[in-house]
Amino acid sequence: MKIQEIIDKLNLNVLTNAEEREVEGVFISDMLSDVMTSAKAEEIWLTVQTHTNIVSAANLVDISAIIVTQGKKVSQATIDLANRYHVIILSSPKTTFALATELIGIGVKSQ
Amino acid sequence: MPEEKCAHTWEMINVAYGFVVTEKCYNCDKVSTYFTFEHRPPLEEYREGDHFWNVMESAQSFRFDLKCSKCSKVEKLDELMGLMMCTGCDDTCEVDSLRIILEPERTWIYVAFGFLPVEERKQLSKEKIAILEEYFNQRRKSLRSRIKIVSHESVKNIATCYGEVIKDLHMLSLTPLEEE
Repeated sequence: MKIQEIIDKLNLNVLTNAEEREVEGVFISDMLSDVMTSAKAEEIWLTVQTHTNIVSAANLVDISAIIVTQGKKVSQATIDLANRYHVIILSSPKTTFALATELIGIGVKSQ
Repeated sequence: MPEEKCAHTWEMINVAYGFVVTEKCYNCDKVSTYFTFEHRPPLEEYREGDHFWNVMESAQSFRFDLKCSKCSKVEKLDELMGLMMCTGCDDTCEVDSLRIILEPERTWIYVAFGFLPVEERKQLSKEKIAILEEYFNQRRKSLRSRIKIVSHESVKNIATCYGEVIKDLHMLSLTPLEEE
């Protein structure tokens, strides 16, 4: 599924530049260690973390996009770093569970 | 398949979570880092010969090795303390110079760190760094970006480096201060 389709269907806020990408699954964790060990390339990553470190972790394993959940505010420093490294950051006021349920509902599955 | 003829396909194995502890001797100012599997990182100061070690910080982290799924070769990565993404803070630094060249091609530079003190601990070899780089590139599905991993020895001044270290630390403030 294309990232733009997910943005539209889930009514996500787009915080960074958003180029077209494929999404092939979902990864949920708030630990960067977990992202490094277990996230797969082209997955969409759901987290409440907003630290600039999320950009370096997402880049390392080639995450398609990060969705910051529960309405957590993302600093301009994180947004600027993400734009520089072409990491897409989206956000939603919904909980991680609610978003995961909606992602399943629109047909995004785990790899 | 014989190891020497194998075009390795790496997978992460032996993943074990713990803490990277950084401590400093208040007698000589030496800084030391080590990995511990303890559930709670130690807090107490202790004496070791002439050193009086005090904990500076503990970050949740993990260790892993790489195994080739074709020939079963295992590459131990005990010397790896962590990875840092170069974000370009000093254009006189060798790593930053490499970043300036490779960033337009969407090749991101990461620095592999060993444990401190560098002169007393075995550090990651060039061969292991190359394998680590191969592993993270093999995890990618598209060619839209690549990873380049270099040794911390290439960093001009690690004390003033603004790179983004990937560690589970100082991330508890989930809302930016200016928004609170």
